[in-house]
Amino acid sequence: MKELSLNILDIAENSVKAGASLTEIRIEEDETHLTLVIKDDGCGMSEEVVKSVTDPFYTTRTTRNVGMGIPLLKMEAEITGGSFSITSKSQDEYPNDHGTTVTAVFDKTHIDFTPLGDVSASILTLIQGHPDTDFLFIHKLADRTVTLDTREIREVLEGVPIGSYEIIKWIEGFLDEQYTNQEE
Amino acid sequence: MTVSELIEKAGFKAATLPEPDKEITGVYIGDLLSWVMGRANSGDVWITIMSNMNILAVASLADTACILVAEDVELSQDLLTTAKQKNINVLLTELGAYEAAVKISKLI
Repeated sequence: MKELSLNILDIAENSVKAGASLTEIRIEEDETHLTLVIKDDGCGMSEEVVKSVTDPFYTTRTTRNVGMGIPLLKMEAEITGGSFSITSKSQDEYPNDHGTTVTAVFDKTHIDFTPLGDVSASILTLIQGHPDTDFLFIHKLADRTVTLDTREIREVLEGVPIGSYEIIKWIEGFLDEQYTNQEE
Repeated sequence: MTVSELIEKAGFKAATLPEPDKEITGVYIGDLLSWVMGRANSGDVWITIMSNMNILAVASLADTACILVAEDVELSQDLLTTAKQKNINVLLTELGAYEAAVKISKLI
């Protein structure tokens, strides 16, 4: 995709569809690499399904549950000489510890590296679209760490819907402040 | 014009041609697969230099007439086997995307 933030949106949507109550989105950047981890506590997948989700034809069936997001993310990571992995524990086999983790590592110095883009916008879209599930977003940069935990915000809100315009606007400012704040 | 007629008239190579009679109505050029997915039209000759398995899924989703791989990019046997299974025409040319499109434009 044109920006990694769109991939993040797509993969996290899969997590929500899998019934996740918490979806964690972690981005860690250093000088040369970007590591993206999306982890959920949704229903997970059997080993057989995990193997097939990187197959673009599995995902393009009309009855599909996932989009082309996984094969495209894998390709984008591998094009830079990075790596991709997906692990999952299905609810049937692991009733107390289930979910899926997608990990992609990119070499940022590769000329075909897809820029991260507006990741804040993706996070806001997710929260607004799925106000009843929680998201933990952690973006580690060289000089700062940007964090957003909807569970903490929810606690403060005391019943005010998190997807409402005012709250989304507030979260937008909260993220923006963390990204632009000079004192750290 | 059909894909097999195009091959004959334009001198492209057929890497695999499971649906030779598919009708060609246009051309789309692009390498960013997520972009192509939403923009290539049914019946297009899709010109690209990408050669991984995902291009077959994109061609299938967009229902393009064929994929035309430009600049003689090498294709894996795996890709060709899958293309055949999924009924996706894959053509090859040594031309660049622009030259190939110009050639097609004169024919259709």
